[in-house]
Amino acid sequence: MLRIENLHARIEAEDGDGREILKGVSLQVPAGEVHAVMGPNGCGKSTLSYVLSGRDGYEVTGGEILFDGDELSELEPEERAAKGLFLSFQYPVEIPGVPTLTFLKEALNAQLKARDEGEISAPDFMKTARETAKQLGISADMLKRPVNVGFSGGEKKRMEIFQALMLQPRFLILDETDSGLDIDALKTVAEGVNTLRSEKRGMLVITHYQRLLDHLKPDVVHVMADGRIVDTGGPELAHQLEREGYDKYVGEAA
Amino acid sequence: MTVAVKLSPFEQSLVEALPASAALRNELTERGLPHRRVEEWKWSDLRVALGRFEPTAGAMSVNASRPADEHVALDRQPFELMPRLAAALGGACAVYDLTDGETLELDLQAEAGAGHGVLAINLPAGVSARVEERYRVADGAFANLAILITVAEGAELTRIVQQDAAPGGVLVATSGLEIEAGAQINQTTLAFGARLARLETHVTHAGHGAHFDLGAAYLLGEGLHLDQTSVVRHTGPHGMLSQLSKGACARGGKGVFQGKIHVERAAQKTDAQMQHRGLLLDERSEIDSKPELKIYADDVLCAHGNALGAIDEDALFYMRQRGLPEPKARALLTESFLSEPLDAIGDDATRERLTGRLRERLAALS
Repeated sequence: MLRIENLHARIEAEDGDGREILKGVSLQVPAGEVHAVMGPNGCGKSTLSYVLSGRDGYEVTGGEILFDGDELSELEPEERAAKGLFLSFQYPVEIPGVPTLTFLKEALNAQLKARDEGEISAPDFMKTARETAKQLGISADMLKRPVNVGFSGGEKKRMEIFQALMLQPRFLILDETDSGLDIDALKTVAEGVNTLRSEKRGMLVITHYQRLLDHLKPDVVHVMADGRIVDTGGPELAHQLEREGYDKYVGEAA
Repeated sequence: MTVAVKLSPFEQSLVEALPASAALRNELTERGLPHRRVEEWKWSDLRVALGRFEPTAGAMSVNASRPADEHVALDRQPFELMPRLAAALGGACAVYDLTDGETLELDLQAEAGAGHGVLAINLPAGVSARVEERYRVADGAFANLAILITVAEGAELTRIVQQDAAPGGVLVATSGLEIEAGAQINQTTLAFGARLARLETHVTHAGHGAHFDLGAAYLLGEGLHLDQTSVVRHTGPHGMLSQLSKGACARGGKGVFQGKIHVERAAQKTDAQMQHRGLLLDERSEIDSKPELKIYADDVLCAHGNALGAIDEDALFYMRQRGLPEPKARALLTESFLSEPLDAIGDDATRERLTGRLRERLAALS
């Protein structure tokens, strides 16, 4: 479903000189699977999530990102979103003045329109929103607020998963979704993510720690260091990393 | 600086229309129309905007929702040059004495050519009323309007001003408000600019619990210039002012905000807050601003803030990642930014109407 081949990317600097962050990332996530990417700070995990979602300032200098066989590199962020790519942000952005549900309904309808599908009716949208919010323990009051405004770190992460459930993307990238969550919130969020698991959907879970993976049970774990995937294995690899740390890989990459 | 200016044919025509004895005539002859070397007009050069203006009389009309109560010669003179000119050349002053619960609609329409007008609106003590103004200026038109408003003790005025985009027109609308003890005024402007539009508000604020809520939102496209200038003079104690002006300029748009708060010695315990926030939507847009406080009383709470910025790139990416096309995301962010002053409008229908007009204008510009 998602195939990344020898991906090189850099962050464009103000002075025009870029710094290469991704130095040949290759991995494949077939539909129906959950893959984790683990790695130390600064290894390029978040850069990978921004490059995949098409953020300005991140330039692909080599390699391929194939989503269902289509090259994504030249597409705008909204075009990738319409293809079904969803990024749960490490730091969800506050947008004062834009109510959460208005925003989500506009976003959903924009995606549907881009895919030549009919718009969702307001009553159907509201019904789904209420049910989904209930599932995630999100109050009606939270839904009325502007996007992410005044939410704690944990509430923001919960709202990201709420958005994912509303938009029903075909592929999820979860960037450090566990950070800022206490144990109960982690469980709720993981349950939300797990309801999105399906044969037709893939996920890439970017994280430092084992604890989210205990709930999500990834099929494959990749280890990233210095802009490359340096090891790939089963769920046991995450446990090994938790015990031994990343020293071994950091040494190798350097 | 008293170097006499060389008058344009249009300025000459204005001078000739004034009575020979008028002091205004000498003033205009010496100085011409306001221009960029006059401090109060440094970012809005009316002389340049009207430099090639044909000295023809235009058709300017202010259509009111009801007849005026009377037409009189003006007994008090506005202080500034432009409203004095409006009063001198605009004929008799139409006077509206508002009754409790009344809504007065005033629709200014200016066709090509020059037009001047003056009107007065009075709210007697204890009366609660609304005034809704709309300014429409056609290509090749110059409209100069003066509005004198008195709000007597304990009266409540809601004033809504809408200024339509006028790429080929020039508008100067000067209002003078005298507000007495305990009066409540809620004034909200939604403006889209003109070749040059100057919306000037002068307030004499008596305090004693009087509260002036002065809000404005502006959105300016290519070739559109809007100048909002206000001077609020607090003359008595315990007066309140809350002023919030927010604007966005697209490529080639120019916004000007000049706000002055003047607190006289007698105006102790004045609480005056002035905020201006500007959003520059393009590198080739311009917003100039000058907030000023002059405080002669020693026990007051006064503050002003002024900030200019661009669209938040993090928010933009976030919205696009969820599937909103970039122009739509920009429009939504701009709308949410500009909506804040409009949110202060108490009447739901009016607020939604103005927000709707803002949304339409945003769609037209994106």
